[in-house]
Amino acid sequence: MTLDSLKENEQATIIAINNDGLALQLLSMGFILGEKIKLERIAPLNDPIIISSGNNYISIRKKDAQQITISKS
Amino acid sequence: MSDSTNKNIVLVGNPNTGKSTVFNLLTGLNQKIGNFPGVTVDKKTGQFKIDNIKYNVVDLPGTYSLIPNSEDEKITQQYIASITSKDLIVVVADVTNLKRNLLLCTQIIDEGKQVVLALNMMDLLQKNKQEINIEKLKTEIGCPIIPINARIGKGIDSLKNAIVNHKITSLSFLPEQSSNNIDNTILRFKKIDAILNQCCSKKGEDSSYLSTKKIDNILTHKVYGYLIFLSLLFIIFQAIFSWSSYPMDLIENGFIWLSDFVANTLPKGVVNDLIVNGIIAGLGGIVIFVPQIAILFAFITILEDTGYMARVSFLMDRILRQFGLNGKSIIPLLSSTACAVPAIMSARTIGNPKERLITIMVAPLMSCSARIPVYTILIALIVPEESTLGIFNMQGLLVLGLYLLGFVTALLSALVMKWLIKAKQQSAFTLEMPIYRPPRWKNVGIEIVSKVKVFLFDAGKIIIAISIILWGLSSYGPGDSFEQIEAKYAHNTEQLDESDVQAKIASEKLEASYAGIIGKTIEPVIEPLGFDWKIGISLVTSFAAREVFVGTMATLYSVGNEDNTKSIREKMLAAKNPQTGEKLYTTATTLSLLIFYVFAMQCMATLAIVYRETKSIKWPIIQVIYMGALAYIGSFVVYTIFS
Repeated sequence: MTLDSLKENEQATIIAINNDGLALQLLSMGFILGEKIKLERIAPLNDPIIISSGNNYISIRKKDAQQITISKS
Repeated sequence: MSDSTNKNIVLVGNPNTGKSTVFNLLTGLNQKIGNFPGVTVDKKTGQFKIDNIKYNVVDLPGTYSLIPNSEDEKITQQYIASITSKDLIVVVADVTNLKRNLLLCTQIIDEGKQVVLALNMMDLLQKNKQEINIEKLKTEIGCPIIPINARIGKGIDSLKNAIVNHKITSLSFLPEQSSNNIDNTILRFKKIDAILNQCCSKKGEDSSYLSTKKIDNILTHKVYGYLIFLSLLFIIFQAIFSWSSYPMDLIENGFIWLSDFVANTLPKGVVNDLIVNGIIAGLGGIVIFVPQIAILFAFITILEDTGYMARVSFLMDRILRQFGLNGKSIIPLLSSTACAVPAIMSARTIGNPKERLITIMVAPLMSCSARIPVYTILIALIVPEESTLGIFNMQGLLVLGLYLLGFVTALLSALVMKWLIKAKQQSAFTLEMPIYRPPRWKNVGIEIVSKVKVFLFDAGKIIIAISIILWGLSSYGPGDSFEQIEAKYAHNTEQLDESDVQAKIASEKLEASYAGIIGKTIEPVIEPLGFDWKIGISLVTSFAAREVFVGTMATLYSVGNEDNTKSIREKMLAAKNPQTGEKLYTTATTLSLLIFYVFAMQCMATLAIVYRETKSIKWPIIQVIYMGALAYIGSFVVYTIFS
């Protein structure tokens, strides 16, 4: 499954990011493969979303979230 | 002082680490903004002096990694690559997010650079129930580490000491690197993790984000979130519209006084005229924008500083994205209803270059306050003040309609540009959501000063130059045409009083001037829109600023009225078309002219700032052409329908 299908407050683990540019960008912002990720909030108009990993909170568009493969734990 | 006594310090760090506060603390107001060659990123430089040695400090744009993802990050990476071992890099890190911040720090160490690490936000560490063994961290990483709390200025002296006493050391963090950036970054994080496990200890649950989450429950709520944002916009709107009018009136009156004073003090002649009507008028046209720029940037800096701006983007992104804009575009677009100049400067908060460019390109279509005098005088020509539609005043409705027309056209133009403009980089939209913090007022002040400086000096040069050209065009005519006009009236003074003669001379001179000639030359082109050469002159002089339209009309229609108290409005109402003898300002012509002023790019201050912000002459030219085309076609359609 991909990150955009998570509901608010659900947690998962990042398995793969299918776009090298996005992978590097997220990695350098502290979103690391194999680590826990949480969907914090979905914008009122259903897009973008806020995700967190540790103390890192970022907002990304759903289009980009679809590139991120996760496994629910 | 010779070069050997100067030292270069470069500030680097993740966004939202308080890097600019550290920069302000180190340099005070002793700083200036320049440019990195060829790109739209500002280069902030400043200085401080200790023991007669001058330290030049450069503040680089915030970046997460040395592997660049955006224009900002590319600059940081290139700049760091060019630094020699004589220079020192100060990495400012958020201590509450050390793992991510150390990524950049260790990358720089592995580039072979000299590094001092400043751990900022030490005050939050206690709140997070965390402890860090700094001595241990020092031995693991190798570079000097200085704990600071930039918000209250704590630790800055130790940071300066560390800078002054720095000894060149050769360090390396990740000795074996692969060619794959992603693998490297993961390896780096693994090593950082291992070190932090030894140096950091948790003493309880991390609560730093808890209150931020509670605030977010309200500020990004589907109802309250938008209500609060709308009220905030209303306050900003109110501030740039009405609060700024007091200082603006003061500035305006000041310049009127100055030009009267100079006009009466200096001997009459060309120099007097150039100084009064060219230079002082041009300067006045620049300084008048300062209150609006200052107020808008006070608000924007506060919104950025507190962390609210990221939430605005989160709330609005979905709507504006469809038009090729960004969630943050809403601020420039709405500010543009006061003035496009500060609005375009504020588009800098938009990270994505394409979305920022589109915002800059369409913002001037929003009806700005300089259009209000033009709208007022023209609408009064066709709609009597007392006419109403239901409970609404007709004049007010028409103004509202013009504003809406500008707004809708801005969105549609953005949509077209979304398809036409190619994105330089396919970067994903990722935006950090920082925790909420109170604004740093000193930072707000410094930001205002630096934005006003950029406007006065960068855009100001261009505006003064164009003002002087416009002055030349309307004060000079070919051959001896001006002398002939003066000679003609020299014998004719008995029948008319002095001020009428002066008015007639001014009006005939304007007609004979180069601006008049341009007006007459373009008459065939603007005739299909219902305009005559007098309107043509106004279109030319409006380029200085749209409200100049009213002044030009006053000069042009000062002809042949014994009663000088007649308003410009009445004079324009009485104006006849010389060919048909019919009224000139028919409903069709007036509406056509209104539409022209909604769409046309007639503002050199805006063009100057667009050039400054895009670093390219291409975009202001495209703006003149596309908005001109909209104006011409719009006016033509309206004139044809109503005549």
